[in-house]
Amino acid sequence: MKLCEFIRPANLAEARDRLRELGQRGMALAGGTALHFMQAPEPVTAVDITRLGLSYIRPEGESFVIGATTPIADIQRYRAPRWAMHEVCRRISTHQIRNVSTIGGNICRVFPWADVPVVLLAMNARMVTYSGKEQEIGADDFFASQPAQRFRDGELLTAVKVPNLRMHHGFGSVKVGRNAAAFSLVTVASVLELENNNIKAARVAAGSAIPFPRRLLDVEAALVGREATAAVFQEAATKAKAAANWRGREGMSADYIQHLAEVSLIDALERAATFARTRDA
Amino acid sequence: MTHHAPTVSFTLNGEAKTFVTEPDEKLLALLRREGYRGTKYGCGQGTCGACTVMLDGRAVYACILYAQQVEGREVRTIENVGTLDEPSEFQTELINAGAVQCGYCIPGMVMSATALMENEPTYDDEIAREYMDGNLCRCTGYEKIWVALRKVLDRREAAAAAGQKPDAHPHR
Repeated sequence: MKLCEFIRPANLAEARDRLRELGQRGMALAGGTALHFMQAPEPVTAVDITRLGLSYIRPEGESFVIGATTPIADIQRYRAPRWAMHEVCRRISTHQIRNVSTIGGNICRVFPWADVPVVLLAMNARMVTYSGKEQEIGADDFFASQPAQRFRDGELLTAVKVPNLRMHHGFGSVKVGRNAAAFSLVTVASVLELENNNIKAARVAAGSAIPFPRRLLDVEAALVGREATAAVFQEAATKAKAAANWRGREGMSADYIQHLAEVSLIDALERAATFARTRDA
Repeated sequence: MTHHAPTVSFTLNGEAKTFVTEPDEKLLALLRREGYRGTKYGCGQGTCGACTVMLDGRAVYACILYAQQVEGREVRTIENVGTLDEPSEFQTELINAGAVQCGYCIPGMVMSATALMENEPTYDDEIAREYMDGNLCRCTGYEKIWVALRKVLDRREAAAAAGQKPDAHPHR
């Protein structure tokens, strides 16, 4: 990605106006760590949005609100009761990348290997955008297609609202890669709500091994109303085969990747159940 | 609207500097053309760690940052960590361990280790590996680099446990 100009707007409205004026000739720039994966036919103007006060994490009502330009490393280091986002963030790329890469950059243009969209789908997060006024979009709608399409007319992501994991709710995620810094082969995440060890509600999502991150509705259906046991998790994980189009990668067959996803799902569900049981104490 | 002039100003190794640059220039390219050649070009895509510098106290890859992104911020390069005449504690241990083969990865390794020592209160293996896993050595000399680093970290932890202050200039 070649730049022909680099501008630093003074505020959010100015950033929106400039991006709207520039259209395809402009680009909101946060960390910029994935730009070498992108191509543009002509050089573009970078609109730096990292100095607009959008780097923060704060509890607000029933959510943790994460500013759009908050570095992944800050999310990794943040701690609060029943906070779980750090678990996946510590496994994204290397610390040099995590110090620069932002949550907004991770989700405004979703690359196939992205981990954060999978987690936000499972968490039922809400994305806050600005286009003159603020708007909230649920994760299911936000990730229904490539979010980058939404931001073509100068709209900006300002924050991500991650719901607090309440009592009896648990989160678990698993990322499988060739090594610590590698892109994911498979990423799965789940949130379970337990009531007397029965699964009252479930959100399960996957990414990396499928064309685009998505919830696994068949897996969720196989969980709800059942007891949270290893046997139920194993049975539910088998539904992953029909729930998504698993792709072979890096010399591994589609069947192998699907098996990897199923095993990862079982682990993620076990972790979510353990979280729900043990952190209620 | 602030139209950016074709210059960038930031603190480099403790000194306020202003450089003429282009919008498309990477921080690594600027540093090297200005004589800070300890910072190496490796992969050019934020993977190998040879270009690691510190930005506001955190390790980052200079090869993927635009120079304009560091406007008003603080950049620290290997030249500020140790010199031939006055190597840092970790650099000394790298020499003692015979850990330097071709040497190309070493400045980046030292910068990541510096970030570790300056940002973390303790240095167990897990956190140390987390800081070092973004630096690759194509000579595959990891073991001796790790031995040298562990020696420094163990010494600093022992000093902390004994209530001693670390060396006043452990890595300058």
